[in-house]
Amino acid sequence: MKISFLLHNAYGIGGTITTTFNLAQALAGRHEVEIVSVLRHREHPSHTLDPRVSLRPLVDLRQEKEHPLHLRPARVFPVAEYRYHQYSELTDQRIAEALATTDAEVVIGTRPGLNVHVARQAPDHVLRIGQEHLTLDNHPPRLRTTLRRAYRRLDVVTTVTEADAAAYRRKMRLPGVRVEALPNSVPDPVLPAADGTAKVIVAAGRLVPVKRYDLLIEAFAPVAAAHPDWQLRIYGKGEEHTRLRRLIERLGLSNHALLMGAAAPMEAEWVKGSIGATAANFEPFGMTIVEAMRCGLPVVSTDCPYGPAEIIEDGADGRLVPVGDRDALTAALLDLVGDDELRRRMGRTALDNARRFAPAPVVEQAERLIEAAATARRTARPPAPPEPARLRRALAGHGFAARDAAYAAASAARRTIRGGQR
Amino acid sequence: MTPTTATAPATAPRAACTAGTDGRITFRLAPPGPAAFPSPRLLLRLRPRKGQPEKTLRVLDLADAGDGELSAVLDPLPALPEGRWDLYLLPGPEGERIRLRPGLRDLRALVDGHVRDRPSPVAVRIPYVTRDGYLALRTWLRDAHVEVAGIDVTDRSTTVRARLHGVPLDAGASVLLRLRGGKGVERTVAPRAGGDGRDLAFTVDHADLLPESGDGDRVWDVFVRAGAGADAPLIRAGRLLDDVADRKEIFVHPAAVVGEFAVRPYYTVDNDLAVEVLRRT
Repeated sequence: MKISFLLHNAYGIGGTITTTFNLAQALAGRHEVEIVSVLRHREHPSHTLDPRVSLRPLVDLRQEKEHPLHLRPARVFPVAEYRYHQYSELTDQRIAEALATTDAEVVIGTRPGLNVHVARQAPDHVLRIGQEHLTLDNHPPRLRTTLRRAYRRLDVVTTVTEADAAAYRRKMRLPGVRVEALPNSVPDPVLPAADGTAKVIVAAGRLVPVKRYDLLIEAFAPVAAAHPDWQLRIYGKGEEHTRLRRLIERLGLSNHALLMGAAAPMEAEWVKGSIGATAANFEPFGMTIVEAMRCGLPVVSTDCPYGPAEIIEDGADGRLVPVGDRDALTAALLDLVGDDELRRRMGRTALDNARRFAPAPVVEQAERLIEAAATARRTARPPAPPEPARLRRALAGHGFAARDAAYAAASAARRTIRGGQR
Repeated sequence: MTPTTATAPATAPRAACTAGTDGRITFRLAPPGPAAFPSPRLLLRLRPRKGQPEKTLRVLDLADAGDGELSAVLDPLPALPEGRWDLYLLPGPEGERIRLRPGLRDLRALVDGHVRDRPSPVAVRIPYVTRDGYLALRTWLRDAHVEVAGIDVTDRSTTVRARLHGVPLDAGASVLLRLRGGKGVERTVAPRAGGDGRDLAFTVDHADLLPESGDGDRVWDVFVRAGAGADAPLIRAGRLLDDVADRKEIFVHPAAVVGEFAVRPYYTVDNDLAVEVLRRT
């Protein structure tokens, strides 16, 4: 089978790129796999791509940044999408061509705007899959309204968590569309797992407010006081760096809490620790939790939407604590720091439990999903109806649809009024 | 950069490495093509000063590791001179060397290196990645070493806890702060010895580090004088015994405000301890 991924920019750095490369690599064992990258800005991808996976860019920004069509706003790529400003008539055109002429049996979009392209422009004989790497509830209402309309023409929508899949089923009303969670996979580690003896707690991610590294550092202060031979190492860079540095100084943690800078790959850093930690308010999936567990670390995490509770089994391979609860985070860290046997046992369990996120089981799930969608097609699911008229859609709309549409219209009106006042 | 390093990073071979607690480092890499690399070996080159020729080289044999990869072992002895070493793959008797990019660096054995007492000379090796993305090795070689364990800064003073390696603490030992570029200007404080003759602590009053007149910014380098005599050797204080090759931006301590000055202990680019005194702006 030939499978084609449609990716925003395969040459950049990020979670969606990593997980798409991982899945493409795992599928390449049994299928012909290509990645179509809408944009390209450098010669080689930053992440390593399996040589069995072919890579085809559509718009090369190094030459086509000033292309007349690239200076005109996109019309197919939805205006409410986060990356709308990076799309254009040129991307509209190139993506449409690529989809119209594809020789793949399955086309997989990897972000909302590209899923809209796949839904509207992939030929009828092609299986159309849209992947959601973020979450429905965090999309602006206007984007949800666009997706609600377009996604009816997809065969499959995948989310990265069951919780988000449930949100799609409840709020999107997509008749005939299979909605399923397909978690991100993490490649099998190369290094031996951590053995639980290192007196280091490891955290990793961009230093941005939503990750709540401030809370983690505050929660770590009593741990360092009770166990001065332990360190907290935070890997990553970002806008919060200076603020976190000041917090560390104010709390007198300069000897114990370290901002390590970015590290890629993280694997060699995880195995230097024996506990993973995250205090985030929001994690669409929780890739670093899986990475840490696959290296043999139990992870202490906030029970934030959506991923952590679907990855960590509280008390068995890690701990889940309420969002924003510093004392609970401290207590959970102290439990693991203070009990060598508990920590080692949970680390071993984490190693076992995280195997379900290895490429092999995830790719098997993806194949089953594709197979089921193909079978549904063969047993003649009626083709999706053409897009209904705007009025009929609004009237026939389900509660969530009506609310999103109303909200979107209201905010559009507000923008118009504000624009008029300027 | 020498012309031999012109290989594009995206295509240069990668070498993984594993550090042992005893200083041993094992390098591993996928075998390069036998045509271009008839007898591949690993080269370590002590990076010369700018404009100087390279002089200090180590060549390691690459052997079949049994799993299809090649491996080379850098034994703990002989100790390597202090500096930064670049790593290359040698194709054979002929042919151009290729600078290596990093694979996974398993340095977990180094993380708690400060808990193991070192004999003299104290030799340290930490594999790291250069700013431009190549594999390299940082080495230190010192007769003795004062490993900083912790630094506590208050408004009035800075207290340093440390441990001696390579030599026991002599009863007449003292802590010496030497003004960088200061033509022998020094401050001396008495160390407090810990239980086993290795641990020590000392406290420096910030007021003693300020310029007497309206001088500008200054840096004090920190040493322990091993014995009572003025000719007793100076042992540099620093923090070398873990997995962090470049500490300056990671182990950061707060500044104390003393009048119009900010006094702050910090680690130099060589991971040695110093105290800077900056006029506040």
